[in-house]
Amino acid sequence: MDSAEARDGKHREQRKPGLAWLHRGLSKPLAAAAAIAGFTLWAHFGSGVQAFRSQVSSAPGWQQFRASYGLDEFGADSYFVRAAQNGYNLFYFTHRYGWRFTRKTARDAVNACAGCHTIEDLAYGFVNSDRFDARLGKRISFEERVMRCYAGPMDGFVPTLYDPAVRDIRILARAVAHHLQLSEGARKDKG
Amino acid sequence: MTALPAKLLKVALIVSILGGLYLLAAKNHAERDARRQAAVEITPACKAKLKDYALRPGELYRSPYLLRTTGSWSELRGYSEEDVRAIQRGCNIVDDTQGQLAKDGASERWNATRFSRSTHSSCNHCHQGVGDKQDAAGNRPVGSNGLAASWVMADMYDRFTGLLLPYELRQMQCYINSSNGFKPNADDDLIRDVTAYSRFLTAALDLKVGNHYPEQGIDEIPASATLRRGDDYVRGAHVYRQRCATCHGPQGLGTVVQGRVLYPALAGPESFSSDSRMNFERINSVMPGFICRNMPPGQEGSLDNQECRDIAFYLSTLPRPAGDKHGPLAAAWQQLMMTVMLPLTRYAESLGHNGRL
Repeated sequence: MDSAEARDGKHREQRKPGLAWLHRGLSKPLAAAAAIAGFTLWAHFGSGVQAFRSQVSSAPGWQQFRASYGLDEFGADSYFVRAAQNGYNLFYFTHRYGWRFTRKTARDAVNACAGCHTIEDLAYGFVNSDRFDARLGKRISFEERVMRCYAGPMDGFVPTLYDPAVRDIRILARAVAHHLQLSEGARKDKG
Repeated sequence: MTALPAKLLKVALIVSILGGLYLLAAKNHAERDARRQAAVEITPACKAKLKDYALRPGELYRSPYLLRTTGSWSELRGYSEEDVRAIQRGCNIVDDTQGQLAKDGASERWNATRFSRSTHSSCNHCHQGVGDKQDAAGNRPVGSNGLAASWVMADMYDRFTGLLLPYELRQMQCYINSSNGFKPNADDDLIRDVTAYSRFLTAALDLKVGNHYPEQGIDEIPASATLRRGDDYVRGAHVYRQRCATCHGPQGLGTVVQGRVLYPALAGPESFSSDSRMNFERINSVMPGFICRNMPPGQEGSLDNQECRDIAFYLSTLPRPAGDKHGPLAAAWQQLMMTVMLPLTRYAESLGHNGRL
């Protein structure tokens, strides 16, 4: 009898505080949602990690590059210019902006695409891409060349075809090729 | 004791299935490689186009078009034999996507029909002149959807998709929407050969990367380019019957003679899907622009802006395959309409032809 009364009393006690059971039921989902929201806010505003940001960091030399290569002449297409800016960052500061795909660090002597190529090489490479490479025995696109650079000279990993780490370098090359008014198959020795 | 042989048997079965799949993939890979090495049987239109642009293997490429139009050469990097074959195959795909002119069937076009539910669609229908339309004087008409001009302006922001749209992705959209089909891989030979051909055209025409040329894309006709009488599908049906039905058929089902598509379907199961940019209901300025600048062949420019909009509006009211974005209910409805409405309208029109309506 005593134990039955105690059980009833316990049940009454459980129901008494009104919405406490609801709080208990929701506390875990709320905590999970808060954690997700917290992570999202931190990722966007506090982390500084490039992948989470819609803005592109203005790396040293960008304003000068933008002026000398007429990036603003690409119409009102700020998406393109932003991608080209990210391409600029990747090209000159690969270890910092493409860190997911390279093991190179600030301490390495050659830690960016610019260590081996000039920006104009990139543009000429773009207009001469998608050609058969006798050494590799296949046709190689510009994107595949970039992927090979990440995996080989940059001692890293291969991004996918659609990753901004590849796409934005192609867009940078396109922007420079436009500035130089290159046509398909233009040769640097004749440029 | 019996458990061990059963387990071994399972392992052997799995290994043999995986081995079989590997061998099948290796065989397909070898076949593709052999196809890449084989001489290309080019279509008559491609033969004329590539001969005109002097495509041949060599260290340097000099465009005869440039010499004709400007009187000067430009020495560009030449093409290897492998590159020439890729360009020839790309031209074939643009001219004859369905492989109707191919001796060796669909495999000669990298089985492009796998990616197209429509048996009519061919790149050449929208990208006329094998992707490089020219008038008798060699001028490239405004809004003629030239492939070369598209390639030099690829990667730009596309307002319809909200993407910086690479050339390869744009081709995929053509397969999905214009051909009412499926997306090939970006690295598929089917896509890459068309890119190789498009890039060759830019060399032949000496187009510069990032410049806008008038033949790029479609010269859209918004309502503001008309006298604002409003678009009217009844008027559109009337003009369609007068100017378009001779080739595309009274129902817009296209004309097929002895298995060859002479004029593509604009409605019905072989047509572009409702997700296509050509569908007036989705984007109301593209199809009118295409019609006004490119139709009827040989009489381009003979329709005024309002007539083009009316025709496009009328076409959008005809049943066609629902695009992926429309969901299963819309797809079922369109399927029903294609099954029921087309024969009914055909019957009604046959009465009309006998003067009884």
